[in-house]
Amino acid sequence: MRKGKMKEEEIKKTIKTEDGWEPVGPTPMPSLTDLRNWDFRLLQTYEPFYAPFCDLCCLCTFGKCDLTEDRKGACGIDIATQQARWILICCLMGTAAHGAHGRHMIDYLIEKHGEDFKIDLGSQVNVEAPIIRTVLGLKPETLGDLKKAIAYVEDEMIHLVSATHMGQEGNYKDFESKAFHAGMLDHVALEAADIAQIVGFGYPTSVADTPLVDLGWSSVNQEKPTIVVVGHNALVANSIVDYLRQNGLNDQVELAGLCCTALDMTRYDKGAKVIGPLSRQRFFLKTGYADVIVTDEQCVVTDIPQMAKDAGAALVAVSDKICYGLPNCSEKDVDQVFKMVVDEEQQVLILDADKAAEIAVRAAMALAPKRRELKKILTKEEATKLAAKCRGTCEACNRACANLLPINNAVFKTAQGDFTDLGKLFLRCIGCAKCEEACVNGIPILKLMQTAADGDTYKIRTGRGPIHDVEIRKVGSPIVLGTIPGVVLFAGCSNFPQDIYDVAWLAEELARRKYIVCLSGCSAMAAAMSKDEEGRTIYEKFPPEFDAGCIVNVGSCVSNAHVVGAAIKIANIFATLPNRANFELISDYILNRVGACGVVWGPYSQKALAIGTGAVRWGIPVVLGPHGSKYRRLFMSKKELDDWTVINGRTAELVDTKEPTPEHMMVVTETKERALITIIKQCFRRNDTPPGRGIKLNSYISAYKQLIGTLPDDLQNFVRTEKDIPIVYKREVISYLKEIGWQPKPVLSLPTIIGTYDTKVPIEATIK
Amino acid sequence: MATEIMTHPYYKVNVLTGSKGARIITEPEEAARIIDKAKTPLYVFGAEVIDTPVGDKLLIDYALQIAQSRDIPICATAHVKRKMLELQVTPDSVYDIIEIVHFLKDKDWTGVRGQGQHDLVLFTGVRCDLAERGLATLKHFAPHLKTFAICRRSHPNADYAVPIIAKGGKWQEYLAALVKTLGTVTPAA
Ligand code: SF4
Ligand code: SF4
Ligand code: SF4
Repeated sequence: MRKGKMKEEEIKKTIKTEDGWEPVGPTPMPSLTDLRNWDFRLLQTYEPFYAPFCDLCCLCTFGKCDLTEDRKGACGIDIATQQARWILICCLMGTAAHGAHGRHMIDYLIEKHGEDFKIDLGSQVNVEAPIIRTVLGLKPETLGDLKKAIAYVEDEMIHLVSATHMGQEGNYKDFESKAFHAGMLDHVALEAADIAQIVGFGYPTSVADTPLVDLGWSSVNQEKPTIVVVGHNALVANSIVDYLRQNGLNDQVELAGLCCTALDMTRYDKGAKVIGPLSRQRFFLKTGYADVIVTDEQCVVTDIPQMAKDAGAALVAVSDKICYGLPNCSEKDVDQVFKMVVDEEQQVLILDADKAAEIAVRAAMALAPKRRELKKILTKEEATKLAAKCRGTCEACNRACANLLPINNAVFKTAQGDFTDLGKLFLRCIGCAKCEEACVNGIPILKLMQTAADGDTYKIRTGRGPIHDVEIRKVGSPIVLGTIPGVVLFAGCSNFPQDIYDVAWLAEELARRKYIVCLSGCSAMAAAMSKDEEGRTIYEKFPPEFDAGCIVNVGSCVSNAHVVGAAIKIANIFATLPNRANFELISDYILNRVGACGVVWGPYSQKALAIGTGAVRWGIPVVLGPHGSKYRRLFMSKKELDDWTVINGRTAELVDTKEPTPEHMMVVTETKERALITIIKQCFRRNDTPPGRGIKLNSYISAYKQLIGTLPDDLQNFVRTEKDIPIVYKREVISYLKEIGWQPKPVLSLPTIIGTYDTKVPIEATIK
Repeated sequence: MATEIMTHPYYKVNVLTGSKGARIITEPEEAARIIDKAKTPLYVFGAEVIDTPVGDKLLIDYALQIAQSRDIPICATAHVKRKMLELQVTPDSVYDIIEIVHFLKDKDWTGVRGQGQHDLVLFTGVRCDLAERGLATLKHFAPHLKTFAICRRSHPNADYAVPIIAKGGKWQEYLAALVKTLGTVTPAA
């Protein structure tokens, strides 16, 4: 439905049109179909690739319907459209998780500080909310404005959810366009949530050199009463910090976290510990180190109540999203709840942050002295005994393993007193516990790993939040010219295909090639888990600025917004393109000129899918690890066989560039080696100047030679003229190009796809 | 005897949730017949061929023998090319696994040697969960070709799959027999 006059007036009021910071662009607060032409243009080059995970549909009572090959459901849907519908459903889950998180955070902080509480991100950040500015056309000045952004996300989501109902949307491209919309809304929610917590809790901002904090399961001092928070919403964790501070207990109680809550609470208290990512949840909780487990929300494994019981630990659930069937004690007197938890060993739900914090601390202090024996991890002798029944032959564990690991050998060797393979297994284990469930002899395999797990303590830099406007001014030009070869964000989960060390390896390979490397969430934690010969993690080894050859931890999953924000700011601050309600103009700029690439090496969550899908709408390609194939949709070109015609912004003429850049918008790679060369390639942009392309090709060739042993097999696709060829490889490359009959290709300084599809944005708008 | 269909492969993550599963090719001779019958086959090597032992050899040694016995073009995915060059074999094409599957979907693609789309695609050494996804893509969207998973963990979404072969020795026997029989079997009419 077209927007009516009343809706338009409402939008004008919401975004305060009268605020003259920039003229309002063509798409303020876009609704479901406002960016559809842009989406379809992207899909024209980057065709959806579907890998059905299930051939059936059982969404309504007409089914189950078999959609194999060209069969259709009773409602008429085909297999491709069904995949696209699932993608939308999953993106909506991800967006809802971030959106609800943002809503909760903002409502809480408004209760605390009031709607008019000012957004101030410090002296280095003037463009405070590039995503909200670009998508909504709103310049948020207060917490109340952030609430408007979340309300917009909520409004749009109801229509998107509706489209997934049986007999609604019926075309895969339209489902993909809607998934893009969900992904873009996700980014609005991320930005609103992180800005709210930065200003509301006083997290670091406008500083790059944030503190280094301890990470690793062994960093937890089990001698102290220990509280472990699990999840992604640090609100209660921060209340625990407040309670400890107010009562002078900081040094007496150990506060540690798993997943993003851990990252976010270290932004509030640098004394808190980061245990690790999702893949470590079960492993750690089984050690018994936690006296009290506090679960907040998102990516919290569902069997925590049982694990808490088994470990003799108290459990306090604090989110209305995860109530575990527990009694709601939010209204009860604190002493009464304390008694329930400590004396009666009851697990409780407390939806009042301050009350939950007090209970967690008091319970930990009361329980710790009684739990000393429960904090002892397995000895090697005990592990050998527990593994004794394994002959290594039944392989039920291997067959059940979600990461396809050779568990049988590791357990069998453990039974023989050799722990080497068990140690290696730990590095690849994603903590799914399917092996334990499957083991015919009931061997507690995850627990065995306690004896072989690397017990080092590492340093991670706490999340720094937004990229500074000054940094953007400095790097904008070299990024757009290509002389900084790219900005790479490692985001998302810990469903890594191989060693947990691989994220650090990839990040380091890129940083030493002078890429700007950003990390967030579980990836940021995993990247801290390896050290060089001098005992330094990548956070200690590389500078923390947003600049060539630096390593930046932006923060938790919601902080991903700042890297997309940085790409927008390059267009807005460096290139001075207006971003207010100007989604297509900005995304076109990013797609053609900002060499940015997102990487989710261990994808599993719907949130990561929403983030990745949103990135694609912004023109940022995404590289996924092999588990990403189970998302069931990618966006790929047919490389040199496709039409790569764009418009030369200077002449407004169509030019066939003949070069597939960026080559794919969402692609899975099987190994870390292939991931590295793919990431490097995904940072090529049509706009690269010859020296810039030369630098990028230098990285590409050097990595390809290092890992595959020859010049890249598709090198000819990316050399436009001889000027692009890096000097060190000149002779070799020219001889190769001659051999395969390479022809020069046009080099454009103002490439754009605006004008190649039906849009309200004039081509002239791309030139500033 | 009714044709056996693969629904529960070695890895649980690859259990078939659908109605069309792979035909299990229990006998290497039958596998050879299927390969011999193909007019424009392709062999896709996944990363695991590089370092998976099969007896005293590597998986890549057998895969190469299969390819070479019928001059089947090879697509080296991941970083397999490096190992192939060490073995003095140049792959016919280099794509990552998802890329080659993307091309195979297109019935008008001219194949890795430019001689036309392939009619049979063999896969070996691709990480099993990823391989299964690629095979699902081809099952639904590439009716113009058949797929054969030469993998002892087995794959429901292929057209043809090796059964689950638990013992390494048996796997080696299967591969050796396949190599030996290739080119010697008269294709069934
Ligand atoms: S939604 Fe459509 S395909 Fe799914 S079960 Fe219902 S009728 Fe069948
Ligand atoms: S817990 Fe680890 S080893 Fe066990 S099945 Fe899961 S990934 Fe495999
Ligand atoms: S299932 Fe248990 S007994 Fe069997 S191989 Fe695995 S660890 Fe050993």
